[in-house]
Amino acid sequence: MLNQRKRLWDAPPLKSHYDAVIIGGGLHGLATAYFLATRHDIRDIAVIEKRYIGYGGAGRNTAIVRANQRTQENVPLYKEALDLWPVLTRELDFNLMFYNCGNLNLAHSEAALKAMRLQTATAQFHGVDSQLVTPAECKALIPALDISDRPSYPILGGMFHPPGGIVRHDAVVWGLAKGASRKGVRIHQGVEVTGIGVQKGKVDSVETTLGRISTPRVLNAAGAYSAALANRLMGICLPISVLTIQAMVTQPLKPLLDHVISSGGYHIYANQTLKGEIATGAHMDRWPNYTTQTSAHYIKHQAEALTDLLPCMRGVKFMRTWAGLADMTPDMAPIMTGNDPVEGYYQDCGWGYFGFKSCTVAGKYMAQYMATGSCPDILLPFDQKRFEAHRLMGETAALVSYSADN
Amino acid sequence: MKRNLLMNRLEHLPTLRIQPRQTLTIRYNGKNLRGYAGDTVASLLYGCGERIFSRSLKYRRPRGLYSLDGECSNAMMSVDGWPNTNAETTPARHGMVVTPQNVVGSLEWDPMGWMDHLAFVMPAGFYYKLFHKPARLWPLAIKGIRQAAGLGKLQPEATFDCRCDAIYPNTDVCVVGGGPAGMSAALAAAENGLRVVLLEARPHLGGFCDYRVRAEKGGMPLYQWVGALADEVRATENIRVLTHAPVVGVYPDQRITAFQRGSAADVFDLRYIEIAATSVVVATGCIERPLLFASNDRPGIMQIGCAHRLLHTYGIRPAANAVFSVAHDLGLEAAIDMHDQGVTVHCVADAREDGQDPQMLSALAQRGIPHWRGWVAQVAHGRRQLRGVTLSNLTGTFKKRIGCELLVASAGLTPLTGLVTLAGGALAFDHHTGFFLPQRLPPAVQVCGRIRGLHDPSSLSADGTLAGLRAAADCGLNLNREIARAEAAGAAAPGAVRGSKLAMAPGKGGKAFLCFDEDGTVKHVQQAMAQGFDVPELIKRFTSIGTGPGQGGMPGHNLPLVVAHSQASPDSDPQPTTIRPPLVATPIAAYAGGKHDMAKRTPMHAEQLTAGGRMERVGEWYRARRFGADPGAQDEIIGVRTNVGLLDASTLGKFRIFGPDAVKALQRVYVGDMTRTVPFRTKYAAMCNEDGCVIDDGVVIQTGENDYYITTSTGRAGQTVEWFRYHTRYDSWDYHMVNLTDAFGVINIAGPNARQVLAAVTDADISNEAFAFSTCRDLLLRGDVPVRAMRLGFVGELSYELHVPASYMAAVWQMVETAGQSLGIVHFGLEAQSTLRMEKGHVILGSESEQRTTLHDIGLGFLWCRTKPEAKTVGGAALRHTADQPGRLKLVGFKMEDPRSRAPRDGSPIVDARIRGYVCTARFSHALQEPVGMALVDDDLVRPNTRLGIYEDGCNGTLRHAMVVPMPFYDPKGLRMRM
Amino acid sequence: MALSLTCPICGLRNGYEFRFGGADKGPRPLEEGLTPAQWCAYAHLNTCVAGVQLEWWNHKDGCGTWFVARRDTRSNREVPKEDVQ
Repeated sequence: MLNQRKRLWDAPPLKSHYDAVIIGGGLHGLATAYFLATRHDIRDIAVIEKRYIGYGGAGRNTAIVRANQRTQENVPLYKEALDLWPVLTRELDFNLMFYNCGNLNLAHSEAALKAMRLQTATAQFHGVDSQLVTPAECKALIPALDISDRPSYPILGGMFHPPGGIVRHDAVVWGLAKGASRKGVRIHQGVEVTGIGVQKGKVDSVETTLGRISTPRVLNAAGAYSAALANRLMGICLPISVLTIQAMVTQPLKPLLDHVISSGGYHIYANQTLKGEIATGAHMDRWPNYTTQTSAHYIKHQAEALTDLLPCMRGVKFMRTWAGLADMTPDMAPIMTGNDPVEGYYQDCGWGYFGFKSCTVAGKYMAQYMATGSCPDILLPFDQKRFEAHRLMGETAALVSYSADN
Repeated sequence: MKRNLLMNRLEHLPTLRIQPRQTLTIRYNGKNLRGYAGDTVASLLYGCGERIFSRSLKYRRPRGLYSLDGECSNAMMSVDGWPNTNAETTPARHGMVVTPQNVVGSLEWDPMGWMDHLAFVMPAGFYYKLFHKPARLWPLAIKGIRQAAGLGKLQPEATFDCRCDAIYPNTDVCVVGGGPAGMSAALAAAENGLRVVLLEARPHLGGFCDYRVRAEKGGMPLYQWVGALADEVRATENIRVLTHAPVVGVYPDQRITAFQRGSAADVFDLRYIEIAATSVVVATGCIERPLLFASNDRPGIMQIGCAHRLLHTYGIRPAANAVFSVAHDLGLEAAIDMHDQGVTVHCVADAREDGQDPQMLSALAQRGIPHWRGWVAQVAHGRRQLRGVTLSNLTGTFKKRIGCELLVASAGLTPLTGLVTLAGGALAFDHHTGFFLPQRLPPAVQVCGRIRGLHDPSSLSADGTLAGLRAAADCGLNLNREIARAEAAGAAAPGAVRGSKLAMAPGKGGKAFLCFDEDGTVKHVQQAMAQGFDVPELIKRFTSIGTGPGQGGMPGHNLPLVVAHSQASPDSDPQPTTIRPPLVATPIAAYAGGKHDMAKRTPMHAEQLTAGGRMERVGEWYRARRFGADPGAQDEIIGVRTNVGLLDASTLGKFRIFGPDAVKALQRVYVGDMTRTVPFRTKYAAMCNEDGCVIDDGVVIQTGENDYYITTSTGRAGQTVEWFRYHTRYDSWDYHMVNLTDAFGVINIAGPNARQVLAAVTDADISNEAFAFSTCRDLLLRGDVPVRAMRLGFVGELSYELHVPASYMAAVWQMVETAGQSLGIVHFGLEAQSTLRMEKGHVILGSESEQRTTLHDIGLGFLWCRTKPEAKTVGGAALRHTADQPGRLKLVGFKMEDPRSRAPRDGSPIVDARIRGYVCTARFSHALQEPVGMALVDDDLVRPNTRLGIYEDGCNGTLRHAMVVPMPFYDPKGLRMRM
Repeated sequence: MALSLTCPICGLRNGYEFRFGGADKGPRPLEEGLTPAQWCAYAHLNTCVAGVQLEWWNHKDGCGTWFVARRDTRSNREVPKEDVQ
C-alpha cells in the first residue's frame, strides 16, 4: 500500500507512432488519456508535456469543485464531474482527497439574489442539491462572517451547495498519471510540440523537439497555452483571452471555515484546506499575458475584501501568493471541438477558471469524441461555431469585463 | 537557583540591545515572566528558562529556539490572540499574553507525542495512499486530519483592531538591508545627492556585524564600526531609514512592498509600505543553512547566529556547556565568544578540511577548545531536551559521543536571494561559494555584500559603495570615474569565500529534518525521488517541504543540494526552487489597513435619510430602495399612480458632447439615427456592444448646433466617455465630451399631480401645450435657479425630470417638497420605480436583459436604424444577423393563471421537460390588482396565452403557471404620461 | 504593479490605471456585407500571441486617452518601437 520505491508513472522513450497524441500533461490531457485507455481501449497514447505534468493551471488553481452553474448545458456536465471524484479515487487507488464540505456563495445585492434564485432552481431542476439561505443561516454555516451592515456590501443572503467542496489538485494530476501509465499511456515530460502535420485534410503527424510522431489524432489540451498553440500550429484564431489570475494562502490554522465561501460582489473565494491553510483569490488582471506575475495591487485588494466579510482574518498571515493563467471565452463557457478544421484534430480549451472542476468529465467525453470520431451529445453546445452564430452560452449574465468590447 | 542564574543577564556587554534597567513582564502559559525592554518574546522566554517552544505539525516533536529571524515555525505562538506569531521577531511588550500553539497537554508532556512513533506510516505523500479504502473511512479521516492539522487557533469573533497606516514613498534608490554593505550603498548614493530609502527587517541597523566584538575593521571591533556607519546613515538627511520593516514583495519597475511594525511611540502598529524607486540595491545578506543530521530538530540545537545573538544582543548565556558543529568562521568566532562568557565549549567540529581563519584557530587553541577538521554532528541525543551528540568524520568511519546541553549546528550560509528572483533576476549554482548566486540581474537592480559570497568587512564596504554608485548611475548620474575607482577598491579587497559543500551528515538512520514546519526529512525526499518526482519543485509539492509557515526559508537551499546529491548523474548542478511573495509572512491586517470605502452619495443623501429612506449600495452609489417598512413599497406606488411622487435620480450619467463631428460619434455608438434629432426634443436611444446586446439606454437632446446633452444609465456613467472614444479611435473626429454626472443632480417629479407641483415653483408656462411630452426646456425655478427639465415617462405617469446644478439640489428638493406638501407628495425609491416601470413594460438593462440578449430580443428593435451602414454602428452587424434569427430568448409579459396568487420570485426558471427561460421581474401590480411580470423565454413560447410553467426554488417539482400576455400591462396607449 | 505603461500624455504609470482595449485589428470593417465569420473575427477572435503585440490602451484613471502600445505578452513589458522587428 505504501510502496515508496515504485514509480507512480513510467518515463519510457518517445516512439515514432502513437494511436493518439495529447498535447499538454495537465488535468484535461491526462484525464482524456486515462479515459481513452480505460473506456475505449486506446492505449497507445503519448501525452506530450513541455515542462512537467501539473505545471500549469493544474497546480495553480484553488481546487474548488461544484455543480451550481447557471445554464442547463453546463449543470449536468459539472454534476457528472462531481460524481466522478469518488469513482476515480477508487479506480486509481489514489486518494484524491475530495473534501465534500459544500460551497456557500454570498449575495450583496438584489440582482445577485435574483441570479442565485435562477442558479438554485436550475440546480434543483437537474437534481443537484442547492439552497438559498438567509444571512443568519450564512452565519450559522460560517460563524466568522460579518452579517451586520458594517461591510461595504452587506450580506443579503446566500446560496448553499452541499455537494461541492475541494479536491487536492496535485493528487488528481499524479493519480491520473499513475492510472494512465499503468494502462500503457506514455507520458513524455520536457518535450515540446512544434508542429502538426496534415495530409489531405487529415492529421497524420506531430512534430516534437524529440522528432516526428505519426498519429491519426491529436488533442490540443494545452490549457492556457492552447489558443496560442492552435494559432501557431494550425492557423486557428479562437475567441480567447489569456489572463493572469492570482491566489494566495495563509499560514495554517485550526478549523475556521467549514465550507468554501465565495462572493461575486467582492470577487473573492476562500476555503480552508485540510492542512489548515486558507486559500483565497479570484482576481484577474484584465489584460492578456502569459506571465504568472503576482501584483501588490491585488494582494492588498484581496486583504481588504476578505477582512470586510471575515474580520477575524485580519489576524492571519498570508504566506504565499501565486498566479496562473485562465483562457477566458466571451461567454465563460469552454470550447470543445473535434475534426475541425481537419479530421483528427481535437481541441479542449477556453475553460477559464473552471478547468479544474471540469477536468474529469471533459476527459471522459473528449475521450469518447476521439475514440468514436463523433461528438457526444453533451458536448454539442460547446462548439466554437456558437460565437459567429451569435449564440453565446449564457453562463454569465453580466457583460464580461475582460473583453475590449464591454 | 537555576532560574535566578538565568534571570541574570550579562549586563555589561557593549553590544546589548536590551535595556537591563527597564524590566517588563509578560504572561506566558499562566506564568508571569520577566524580561527587558528590547527583548523579543523569544529571547525573554529563553532568558526565563523556557526551552520547548512548540510541538511540530505532524510528529508532534518538541521544538526549541533555532534561529532568531523567524525562518521556521518553531517559535510560533499566540500573542495577544494573534495566532502564528513568531516569537523571534516580535518585540516583547509589558502585559503581553503569550500561549504556545498546537499542543494538547503541555509543551513538555504532549499526549499526542506518540505521533512521532508513527512516522513509518507517514512517508512522503502518505495521505495520497491512505484513508480512501474503504470509502466510508475517508469522511472520518477528514475530521481527524482537520483537527490535527493547522497551527494557530483563530476566534471567529476576533477583530484584531490595531492602528494601521500606509505610505507610498517615491525615491531614487531603495536599499534593502541595513548591514554594512547596505549602509555603504545608501551612503554612496546619498552623497551624490539622491533620495534614498533604507529598509531593514530587524529593529536596528548593523546586520551580522552588530553583535560581533572580535573581528575588526580598521582597528575597530565590527560592532563599533557598523555603529558608526549607522550613526552616519541616520545623520544623512536624504536617507530615510525604515527599521523593523521586512520587504515582502518586489515587482517590475523597481516597486517594493514592505510592512513595518510600530512601537508604542509610533503612530501605527502595522504599516504597509509601497515604494516606487528608480533603482534598487539588494543587500539582504545571508541566513544559515541548516545542518542535516539525525534528530537535528531537538530543543537545544540552534544556529550560530542564534546562539551568538542570544549571548551578545540579549545578554543570555544559552547553556552551561556546548558543542559546535559548523562549517564557517562565524562558528569559530561564536565558540570563542561563548567560551569567554563562561560557557564550556567541549569542542568545535568543523566540516571544512581547510580554509579557516588562522587567527580564529589560534584563539581556539589558546583557550584549549579542540577544533576537529572534517567532523560533523551525526546524531543528536535526548528527547525533550538535547543530552548529547555523536560526532563523526565526514565519511562516518570514526564516531565520538559527547554530552552537552547545547549544540550549535550550521552547514554554512545561504544568501537571501528572494528579492533578486522576484525582481526577475536569475540564479545559478556557484561551485566556489556553494550558493545560488545572482547571475543575470534585471535593469536597475544592484546586489552587494554577503549575498554575493563576500565576507570580509572591507569587501562588504567596498561592494556596498560600488552598488550605491551604480544605483546612482541608474538614476541618470554620470559617475563613471567614481565607479571605476570603486571597482578597483572592490577588486583589491578579499573576494568571495569558499563555502562548505556539505549536503548532509553521514549516516542514514533517524530523522534528518530539511523542513521543521512540515516535518519533512531527507528520507521523504528520497522516497519522492524513487516514485518519479525528479525536480525540486515537484518534490516540494509531493513532500510539502518548504510549503509551511516559513516557506523556503529553511529548506530552500538544502533541498536542491540533497536532490542533486541523490541524483544518479552527479554532474548536474542543483536547481533552485521557486520563491513566491510575500518574502515574509505578512498579517492580512497590514495589507488591509484601515477601511477606506469609496462610495458615492448623491446631493440628496441626507434629505432622503431624514425622509425615512432605506439606503442601499447600488454599484458605487448609495440609493434609497424604499421609504417605509413595506418591502413592496405599495404606498409609494399608489402615491405616484394617483397623486405625485419625488425620486432622486441623480446617479444617472449626464454628458455634454459637442463639436463639428459630435453627430458622427453619436451615429457610431447609438443604434438609432442621430442625424434626425430636433432641438430640445428628447430622443430615447440605445447603445449596443458588438454582439448587439444592449448595454445602455438614455435620452439624447440636441441643445444647440453640434451640441448635445445625453443621459446614460447609472452603471454606465463611468465608461461612457471611454466608450465613445474607443469606438471612434481610428477616426480623428473633432468632438469633445464632458462628464456632468456629478455636476448635476436629478429630481424626478412623477404622477398625475406633477404639473401642479412644478407650477408652484416656476413662472414658466408648463402647460401641456407649452411643454409637451418628449420635450426638454431650460427653466428658472423661483426666478433664479436654472434647471433643465424633461418630460419623460419611465414610470408611465406625467413626469418631469429636473437636472439641477448639484450645488442647488438641496434648495430645489426642498422647494419641490414644500410645493407638494399640501398635495401629500410622497418620496419613492428604487423598489417602487421598478414596479411602476414594469407595469409599463419598460426594461431595466441587466434585469430584463443579459449578455446574450440583443436589442431585438427585448423588443427594442425599433430603436435600431438599419439604413445607416456608413455610420458603422457599434453592434450594427450583429443586429442585422440576428434581426430574424429563430431560436433566441425573447422578452414577454405574463400574468399568473391564478390572479390571486403571489408574484413568482425573480430569477425562477420557466420549464417544461427542460429549461425554457426565466422570470426577469414579477411584482404585484397595484394598477391591475394582480401579479404581472416579464420573462425571457424561448421564442416558440412568445405567443399570447402560451402557458408557462414556473419552477421556483424549493418547489419540489410543483410548477406554478402563468400565461403570456401583451405588454405594457398598464396604460397601453401611453395616455397618462402625455397628460 | 505587474504592469507599467507609458501614456503618451502622462508618462510611465502604474498599469492598473489603464484599461486594455484589445489587440490592434485596424479600423472598423464596413457593416454592409459583413459575414458572420468576418464579424466574429473582428469582434471576438484573437491570435493570443505569446510575444510582442500592438494593442490599444486607455488611461482610464488619468487623462482618458486611447493609445497604441507595444507589449510583450510573455513579460508584460512595453517594447520600444526600435526593438520591434
